[in-house]
Amino acid sequence: MPFSDARDYQIAILSGFLFLGVYTRDWTLHLDWVGFTVAACVLTQWSLSAWQARQKATIEKPFQIQPLLISGLRSSLITALGISLLLRVNHPIVLVLAGSLAIASKFFLKYENKHFFNPANFGIITVLLLSKDAWVSPGQWGTDWWYLILFFSAAGLVLNKVGRWDTSIAFLISYGGLEIARNFWLGWSWDVVAHQLSSGSLLLFAFFMLTDPRSIPNAKKGRIFWSISIALLTFILQHGVYSSSAIFWALFALAPTTVLIDKVWKSSRFNWQESEPKESSKFAPDFSMQPVNLL
Amino acid sequence: MLTPFLKYLKGLLISLVSLLLLSQPAWAFCGFYVAKADTELYNQASQVIIARDGDRTVLTMANDYQGEVQDFALVVPVPVVLKEDQVHVGESSIIKRLDDFSAPRLVEYFDENPCEVREFNDFVGSLLRNQIPLPAAAPAQESAADLGVTIEEQFSVGEYDILVLSAKESDGLETWLRQNEYQLPDGASALLQPYIKEKMKFFVAKVNLEEFDRNGVNELRPLMMAFESPKYMLPIRLGMMNAQQAQDLLVYILSPKGQAEVTNYRTVKVPSNVEIPEFVEDEFGDFYTTMFEQDYQRQGRDDVFLEYAWDMSTCDPCSAPNLSKEELKQAGVFWDKDSYIPQVFITRLHVRYTRDKFPQDLKFHETANRQSFQGRYVIRHPYRGEMTCDAAGDYLNRTYLRQEEEIHTLAKVTGWDKEDIRRKVDFVNAPKPSGNWWDSIW
Repeated sequence: MPFSDARDYQIAILSGFLFLGVYTRDWTLHLDWVGFTVAACVLTQWSLSAWQARQKATIEKPFQIQPLLISGLRSSLITALGISLLLRVNHPIVLVLAGSLAIASKFFLKYENKHFFNPANFGIITVLLLSKDAWVSPGQWGTDWWYLILFFSAAGLVLNKVGRWDTSIAFLISYGGLEIARNFWLGWSWDVVAHQLSSGSLLLFAFFMLTDPRSIPNAKKGRIFWSISIALLTFILQHGVYSSSAIFWALFALAPTTVLIDKVWKSSRFNWQESEPKESSKFAPDFSMQPVNLL
Repeated sequence: MLTPFLKYLKGLLISLVSLLLLSQPAWAFCGFYVAKADTELYNQASQVIIARDGDRTVLTMANDYQGEVQDFALVVPVPVVLKEDQVHVGESSIIKRLDDFSAPRLVEYFDENPCEVREFNDFVGSLLRNQIPLPAAAPAQESAADLGVTIEEQFSVGEYDILVLSAKESDGLETWLRQNEYQLPDGASALLQPYIKEKMKFFVAKVNLEEFDRNGVNELRPLMMAFESPKYMLPIRLGMMNAQQAQDLLVYILSPKGQAEVTNYRTVKVPSNVEIPEFVEDEFGDFYTTMFEQDYQRQGRDDVFLEYAWDMSTCDPCSAPNLSKEELKQAGVFWDKDSYIPQVFITRLHVRYTRDKFPQDLKFHETANRQSFQGRYVIRHPYRGEMTCDAAGDYLNRTYLRQEEEIHTLAKVTGWDKEDIRRKVDFVNAPKPSGNWWDSIW
């Protein structure tokens, strides 16, 4: 049933942003390319989860394909939409590569059964490193619609449909605070920093990429610490080495620290399993049925 | 704690007030012109070439200073101290060449006689104008280091006397400039301060009149500077300090890799590939500027416009011949020295900026984007010779409908009145269609 899962809201919001972007924001993005990305993500998800489920299958509980197909769909769609929204390429094959790597990272880069890279972020950064045909466009959203993005994302947060709000808030407050302080120190007027903080790309990142409950730290304190660290690193990369895609690099660099932070601030993993029937969880690989947000 | 805040507020207030009240010296794009007398200066379209590979940049600035040469003085924040051999005087003609090469273009097609065998025929029509700047000059003299101002470098290049200054605080710099008879609007120090804090230097140029006279050229040539810095930006804030109206800046970015983008504003494409009526050929400049203004307003006045993006080894259609290796070098291209022709991707960005919509300096980044784009406008001339076949009626009907469509398009992109446009259109003599579906059967 549609919207029975929080991720459906996220898929709806992200698709809305994507259509809005393609049709009104002049992006060099074609809808057929989005199709390729979706296909790459979904197919990678299906084949890897089938492979994993087959390995786990026993005689009593044989391998079944059907639950896999349904369960992997949502999270891989979210990753595909995230990549489509943020990554720009010269050839669709690069999108396919990004999508496949993003999904594969969930299966292979994990510690104690928890993947620590945000899949979309991993896909974006690896193709930026591997390919000469990929880039991100931080200015593509402009600042016109920041309030719309803010409204829908915040509404999603409040309704608990868009992931873990504490990471978004901690990131926005600390990053915003740093920028405001810098602006004040430099002596620019307020509208300069207001312009900078109303960037649509920044808000999308804060609300949709930082909030994936599966890959971020488990404990609230850990998450807040982690968000603040990302804000700080973003700030340093932006003003120290003038990186235009600082937020993506900061998240990529600090994502593995989740493992350490989880050791310091202990808390149970995102506990979707409790709501799942026990038998099916045995067969469905544990990356499936992920709740909200894997962008 | 309160004092710096009050000072900050005061600075803000002063800059706002000066924005409203001051009108004497006009300010240019990257930095500003400062006049020694109350000369009326104009400052509408500035042009900059940025040739950049990695952190290495060759920046060429031409601008439209139109006052007396002796009154010209230019102050531009630059990321590093520039030494004499890093500064060069370029040729104005190279800016014109790049402008011509990348300008929005009108393309004409001529319909053939529908009663004859087809053959193709097209050529490129006229281009958009662009004025070449005319700056002018003013002398300065050294002054106390008590003000915290250090003259890092001092030299002459061509007709320019150059100073590269660093400053400890903005009030000192403002005082120093005033003492040395540079006329600054009140509140300038509030705007100089952020650049000082970011450890930027100030490139100050004025004209050496003797050299200028000896040179015999009647215009000030563009200043070029070569430097290495990860900062990829153009300071536009100083230039807006008391500009009353929107200013235009054309940035030609040359890169070995691909398109350049502005990272802190949205980059949009100008409307392109539209078919417009024949008469626009005679008023293409007017058409383009009106259309640009219309789109600028429609997009909310806060976007940067992409007018051209192309690999410079080709063009289709070409509005001007490709640049030679020597010309590319003149434009600042410093890579691929050994190749027959360097690999260059050009991005032409048109920024129309005002203080309210562009509070931040322009920041750029290079992308791998190699998609081509051009502002291209199409005129299709109907065949007007004698036609003696059955196909003629059908052709005329189609052409008539096409002309109607062109009127609609033109009205839409320029905001011009449809009836006014219609009066200028030379319609073909289409047989009056009854609109019945069976008309076209027999």
